[in-house]
Amino acid sequence: MRRPRSGLRSGHRSGPRPRPRSPVSLDARRRRAGYLFSLPGLVFLALVLAYPLLYNVWTSVHDVRLSELLGGSSPFVGLDNYRTAVDDPDFWHAVRLSLVFTAGSLLFQFTIGFALALLFARPFPFNGLLRSLLLVAWLLPPVVSGTLFRWMLDQDSGAYNALLRAVGPDTLAHDWLTDPGTALAGVILANVWVGVPFNMLLLLVGLHTIDPELHEAAALDGANAWQRFRWITVPLMRPVSVTVLLLGLVYTFKVFDLVFVMTGGGPVDATSVLSVHVYEVFFKFFRFGEGAAAGLLLLLVPLVAGVVYVRRLRGEGETA
Amino acid sequence: MSHPVDRRGLLRAAGAGAAALGLGSALTSCGSDKESGTVTLTWWDYFTLDNFQPAFTRLIKDIEAEVPGVRIERRTFPFADLERQITLGAVSGDLPDIAIVDNVSMNSLAGSGLLADLTERVEAWGQADQYYKGPWDGCQVDGKSLGIPNNSNCLALYYNTRMLDSAGVEPPTTWDQLADTAQRLTSGERFGLAMSAIRTEEGVFQFLPFLWQAGGDLDTFATYGATALAFLDDLVAKGSLSEQCVGWTQQDVNTRFVNGRAALQINGPWQLPTIKKTDLEYGVVALPRDKEAATCLGGENWVVMASSDHQDKAWQVLEYTQRPSVLVPYLVALGNLPAREDLADTGTWSSDPALRLFLSQLPLARPRQYGPGYADASQAVAEAEQSVLTGTASPTAVARTTATKIDKALEDR
Repeated sequence: MRRPRSGLRSGHRSGPRPRPRSPVSLDARRRRAGYLFSLPGLVFLALVLAYPLLYNVWTSVHDVRLSELLGGSSPFVGLDNYRTAVDDPDFWHAVRLSLVFTAGSLLFQFTIGFALALLFARPFPFNGLLRSLLLVAWLLPPVVSGTLFRWMLDQDSGAYNALLRAVGPDTLAHDWLTDPGTALAGVILANVWVGVPFNMLLLLVGLHTIDPELHEAAALDGANAWQRFRWITVPLMRPVSVTVLLLGLVYTFKVFDLVFVMTGGGPVDATSVLSVHVYEVFFKFFRFGEGAAAGLLLLLVPLVAGVVYVRRLRGEGETA
Repeated sequence: MSHPVDRRGLLRAAGAGAAALGLGSALTSCGSDKESGTVTLTWWDYFTLDNFQPAFTRLIKDIEAEVPGVRIERRTFPFADLERQITLGAVSGDLPDIAIVDNVSMNSLAGSGLLADLTERVEAWGQADQYYKGPWDGCQVDGKSLGIPNNSNCLALYYNTRMLDSAGVEPPTTWDQLADTAQRLTSGERFGLAMSAIRTEEGVFQFLPFLWQAGGDLDTFATYGATALAFLDDLVAKGSLSEQCVGWTQQDVNTRFVNGRAALQINGPWQLPTIKKTDLEYGVVALPRDKEAATCLGGENWVVMASSDHQDKAWQVLEYTQRPSVLVPYLVALGNLPAREDLADTGTWSSDPALRLFLSQLPLARPRQYGPGYADASQAVAEAEQSVLTGTASPTAVARTTATKIDKALEDR
C-alpha cells in the first residue's frame, strides 16, 4: 500500500501541497458519501426494526398491562417477566414443539429439495415449466397454503384422505389435524411443502457451480454414479448446504402464520409452537411484559443461527 | 380543511414509529373541523361480510342526516383482529371514537381504562330497563356502564326435520334424549350431532351451556365440568359426535348441517340466512336441559373510547341508534336479534319461528362475565374439552386440573 510520506522525507513543508488526493482522504470522503446515501435506509431500519426491537426489550423488563397502555405507569420489574415466562410449563412445551417442528421441517425440506435439485440439474423436457410450477408453492402466502392443507387433510372431504382411501383400506384415512398425536406431523408436512422449492432452488444453483469436468474425469476413472455423488457432489455442496440449512432454521423456527391458520395451536396444545405461544401470551391474555420476554427468548435461536451464518460468510469471503 | 383520511393514513403508515417520536397525541388532537362545526367520528367494527354492508351504509347515512354535526368514518377488521387492533391502537395512539365489540371482549377491555364511562349519560337517558338482563348486565362493570348492547344472540339446537321424521324421533329436550336421539340419527357418514369444540372462544361459547346445564359454573369446574365433559365424551365414544369437532368453527358445523352430514347442530341465529338459501327443512328448539336450562349469550356492544375528544357526540350517535324506528330495520337487515325486550313483538323475529325461538331464549342466556382473567380460564376450558374429546385425558382428571387453572386465572390478577 502506498503511503503519503514522500513529502515529509524530502522536506517540502512550506510549498503548496498537491491536492489532497491521498487514498485515505478519498476513502473518508467516500465513506461520508456512503453514510449519506445509506442514511434513508438507516432511518427506515431504525424506525421499523430497531425501534420495535428496543421497545420490546423495554416492555420485557416492565410490568405492562392493558390498563397501563394509555398513559399509565409501567413499573420497572427487572427480570421478573423472564422468570414468569420460563416458569410457565407451556413455554417449555412450546420450545420442545418448535425444536421438533424445525428439525422435522429441515430434514425433509432439505432431502426432498436436494433430490429435486439433482433431478432438475439435468436437462429433460418441460424442466423449466415444472420448476416454475414447483416455485408456486414458495410464492403462495403462508395463510393460503395453510388453508389449502387444512382442507386437504380433512378426514371427510379432504383430497389427501380420499387418495389414501383409494389406494388402501379405509383405516388409512385419518384426520391428521384434529388428532393431537398427528397434528404436528400434519403441520410439518405443509411446511415441508412450502419449503422444498426454496431448498431446491438454492441447491440447484449450488449444483450448477460444480465443474462438470470433475464428473467427467471421475467417470473416466471408473467412478459410478453413486461414487461420483458421494465423493464429488456432496463435498462440493457442503458450503451451500450449510447456508441453506441455516437460512431454513432462521425461517422455520419463527413460523407462525402457517401453524396458526392450520390448527390455531391445537388440538389441546399439540401444535402450540413458540411463536403461537408468544402470540397467545400477547394478544389473547394481554400479558405484554411476559410476552415480550418470551418473544426475545424466541429470537435467540434464529439470532445465534444468524451470527453463525454471517461469520461463515465472512470466513468464506476471506478464504476465497 | 383537515383531511381525516390522510391523517389516519399517515398514522397507520407511521405505526409504532409515530408513537416513538411522540407524534401520536399531536396528530390525533386535530380531529375536529371547528369551522363548520362538523365532527368526524371514527368507528371500528368487525362486520366484514358483504351481506352486512347495506345495513351499515344505511345506518351511517341516517346518522349523518339526523344527528347534527356528525360525520362517520367507518373501518372494519376481521373478527379476530378487532380486539388486537384496539390494543395496538392504544400503543400507537390510533383509536376510534366508537366501536362495536364482541360482548366477551368486555372482560379484557373493561379494566383497561380504554372505554369511556357512560354511567351518567345512561342514567340521564333512562332506558336501561328496556333491555334484556343478560345483554345489559354484560355492559355493566364495577357499577359503571361501559357500553350499550348493539344486538344479541344465543345458542339453540337446530334439527333436520326430514331426518328426525324418518327416524321417528322428536327433537330432544333433555340430555338423555339428546344422547339417545343423536345416536339414532347417526349412520354412515352422518353424525347425529355437530357442534364446535375448537380451541378458541367459539368452542368455549358452545361448551359453557353444558357446564351450566349440569348445574355448575367456572368456579365449580372440578365437579360439574367433569359431568359436562363426560357427557360429550360419551357422545364421541358412541360415534354420535365427531371427534373432529375439535377443529370445527361454528361455520364448519353449519356447513355439515346444511350438507346433511349432521342431523342436529348447536348454533346461533346468524346461520339462518345461510340455511334459508338452501331447501333444507329444519326446525330450532331450545338447548336440551340437564339440571337447568341454559344457553350462552353472544352479541355485540357499542362502546365509546376514553381517548375520544368527542364523547358527547359519540353518545348522541349511540342514543340515536337505539331508537326503535332506527334499530328495528337495522337489526332486521343484519339478521340479528334485538337486545331490547320492548322490541320483541316487532321485526322479523316476531314472525319467523326460528328467530322467535332464539329470542325466547335470551332471558335465560348468560353472559360470559368473569373479569380480566377470563381469557386464561377460557383457554383452560377449551384445552380440557379438546383433551377429553380426542381421548388424551379422562373427564374427571382433566376437570380437576382445569379447575385449578381456572381458579388461578380468575383470582384478581
